[in-house]
Amino acid sequence: MKKFAAAVLAGVAMSFALPAVATAAGKTIAVSWKTFQEERWKTDEAAIKAVVEAAGDKYISTDAQGSAQKQAADIEGLISQNVDVILVVPFDSDAILPSIEKINNAGIKAIAYDVQFEDPNALYITFDNVGVGRLMAKTMLEKGKQEGNFAFIKGDKGDPNATFLFMGITEVLKANMDSGKIKNVCETFTDGWKPDAAQKNMEQCLTANNNNVDAVISENDGMAGGVVAALEAQGLAGTVPVTGQDGDKAALNRVALGTQLVSVWKDSRVLGKMAGEAAVALANGTAMDALPGVSKFKDGKKGVEMNSILIAPNPITKDNLGDVIGAGWIGKAEACAGVAAGSVAACN
Amino acid sequence: MSTSTDSIQTNRESPGVAEEGAIMRFFRATEIDTRMLGMVAALLVIWAGFDIYSGILRENFGLFGGAFLTPRNLWTLLAQTSSIAVMSTGMVLLIVMRQLDLSVGSMLSTIAVATGVVQVFELGPWLGVGHPAIWIIAVVFALLLGAAIGALNGVLTAYAGIPAFIVTLGGLIAYSGVAWALIRGETVAPMDKTFKLLGGNGPLASIGVTWSWIIGIVACALVILMLYNGRRQRARVGFPQRPLWAEAFLAICAGVAILGMTAVVNSYPWPPKVIETYALANGITIPAGVEDRMGDAICKSGEAIVRCQQGLIYYTGFAIPVLIAFAVGIAMTFIASRTSFGRYVYATGGNPEAAELSGINTKWLTVKVFILMGVLVAVSAVITSARLDAATNSLGQLNELYVIAAVVIGGTSLAGGIGTIYGAMLGALLMQSLQSGMTLLNFESAYKDMVVGTVLVTAVFVDQFYRRRVK
Repeated sequence: MKKFAAAVLAGVAMSFALPAVATAAGKTIAVSWKTFQEERWKTDEAAIKAVVEAAGDKYISTDAQGSAQKQAADIEGLISQNVDVILVVPFDSDAILPSIEKINNAGIKAIAYDVQFEDPNALYITFDNVGVGRLMAKTMLEKGKQEGNFAFIKGDKGDPNATFLFMGITEVLKANMDSGKIKNVCETFTDGWKPDAAQKNMEQCLTANNNNVDAVISENDGMAGGVVAALEAQGLAGTVPVTGQDGDKAALNRVALGTQLVSVWKDSRVLGKMAGEAAVALANGTAMDALPGVSKFKDGKKGVEMNSILIAPNPITKDNLGDVIGAGWIGKAEACAGVAAGSVAACN
Repeated sequence: MSTSTDSIQTNRESPGVAEEGAIMRFFRATEIDTRMLGMVAALLVIWAGFDIYSGILRENFGLFGGAFLTPRNLWTLLAQTSSIAVMSTGMVLLIVMRQLDLSVGSMLSTIAVATGVVQVFELGPWLGVGHPAIWIIAVVFALLLGAAIGALNGVLTAYAGIPAFIVTLGGLIAYSGVAWALIRGETVAPMDKTFKLLGGNGPLASIGVTWSWIIGIVACALVILMLYNGRRQRARVGFPQRPLWAEAFLAICAGVAILGMTAVVNSYPWPPKVIETYALANGITIPAGVEDRMGDAICKSGEAIVRCQQGLIYYTGFAIPVLIAFAVGIAMTFIASRTSFGRYVYATGGNPEAAELSGINTKWLTVKVFILMGVLVAVSAVITSARLDAATNSLGQLNELYVIAAVVIGGTSLAGGIGTIYGAMLGALLMQSLQSGMTLLNFESAYKDMVVGTVLVTAVFVDQFYRRRVK
């Protein structure tokens, strides 16, 4: 009994003492990942860790392994370790809310990283996803075609992103579509964003229009691969501009070869770096709405207003292919395979 | 007296019945599978419907003024069908044996990605990109890998006694993970340039007019030889013969179908851009001519290369994957109907206990059928990745459903024992026709799914109804 009382007392004393210690010896930034199965999160982690450690703070992380329950337990564990900021990539945006509540109550700052949860006290850092669609269309107008027969190869009909992207795309093309300069000759969803399904859809589109297709807006790089294969069969690859997104290596090679116009690239290292910097600033007491690049965001499912940092993606075309090579995202040999000497500046 | 006899006769055989009897006699004499005839009729109705409908939307060069019954679309349709058609022939044997393989889609991803990795990252740097041996090694590798995965499925089903549904459901999930892990979800591209030809993406991956006619004529000769051989065999064992007119009728039908199809693929001209690139790359002189945007040939008008009626033109002929699919179909039909292996499969499906008691090693037989399925999936993996000129882990997703649907539409009974190879291939063609046709008409994909699902269920319903009537 005495021992127990002593332990409790020690615990209470520690909990008072710890924050003081933390202020003195650097802050602790924690990340609760939803799953570490996917390669990309390792890229994000490296970027966050680099910023945090450069600032003299400590980085810790947990992996929920694709389970909402485990993530809740992970966050409780992090709270009890008295960290200063927790970045959360929620596995389930709704089920995570009670855990966020606990973070708030413990006086810790929460950041929704890449995937949103709607809590007014948290900061949301992500890429401007609606902007990806706008960027595709904008690049098409600036560097591809401004008028003619356009084909739209959309993603899976069950994925809200396919529709968001399309909203961004039509927003930019609207003026030219209304004036009749751009004619929508085919528009189709693609099961599971599958490249082979996109290839078949594009083949039918070309057949139906006797090859009179001037430009193709494909919502991602994988499908763009299928579209280019269909165009190639008709000898049109390279003359019909095609869009995409993701910065797929095969797609960047197509950009260099000229068979794809653009791949909108979301560099997760930029995302990680920005999130790391925001976390360090929050840990040092900067107010959330005083962070650089912060704006209000309320386009989520429930319309909760949150502070957010939206990062603009980078549309990669022939002209700025050097960006991806310079960032080490892709090797020069891989990006420039089969490219004729002198046709692309970044490949020289 | 005579009046009563007449009335009795009239009662027995009314004029209507006599006429029906003639049709029945015709079918009995020719031994045509009326079920298949129904499918072909359904297919023709669907094709005509699409052509008429698309013709109403926009005038084109099709048989009924649309864009569906054009050589180009039919050529593309055949190429699009080949991958599913190849796999469906293996699935027929599995389902006939009362087994099932749900893992074919994920297997296809795994084999396609592994083969892509081998040819692009291993063989390319080792032998030099474009080395003529690359495609052969890649294909052999794919077939062996397919056989190995098939053997694993088979052994787990037959010897470990786990139901095939569970083994392959596990495979569906696990192999998709393997396909992802092999290259962490990235896309492998581009494929070897000879390997690419196996996909039949575009006219350069076709065999041309001359070879197509040769193959068409050889196929006709084989049909006649087969009919003749069948007659001799029947005479030898004393089976009743078809009447000669029936044999002639069958030969003519098959000949018209084969040569008709050859004529169709031989009248799909190369796209003008492809002719242009080919001519420029090979130093072929382009004749001078007058511009005509409706023409399929290319001419030189001054310095510019334009489309024209009379000029340089090439025709495609059969796409290579289509020939692969036909070869697989013929080989599998032979295996199913002419070898003891095939007969054992049907016997086991009809009554597993009886088959086992009569000395068939049903366990080993099961493994063999799964291996065959794996090899066929590998063939499809080669075709799909060559056609896309890339391999990713999303290739093949959901293919198990299309393959099983094709088999079922093709009249294979899920109760086992009944099913034909050509039925499944026709089923695959029917499914792809629906999808291609609706895409051509710019149908919204939600409606496409509804139609395909409805057709699947309706086909099975009609089939059941038909079987009950025949019994």
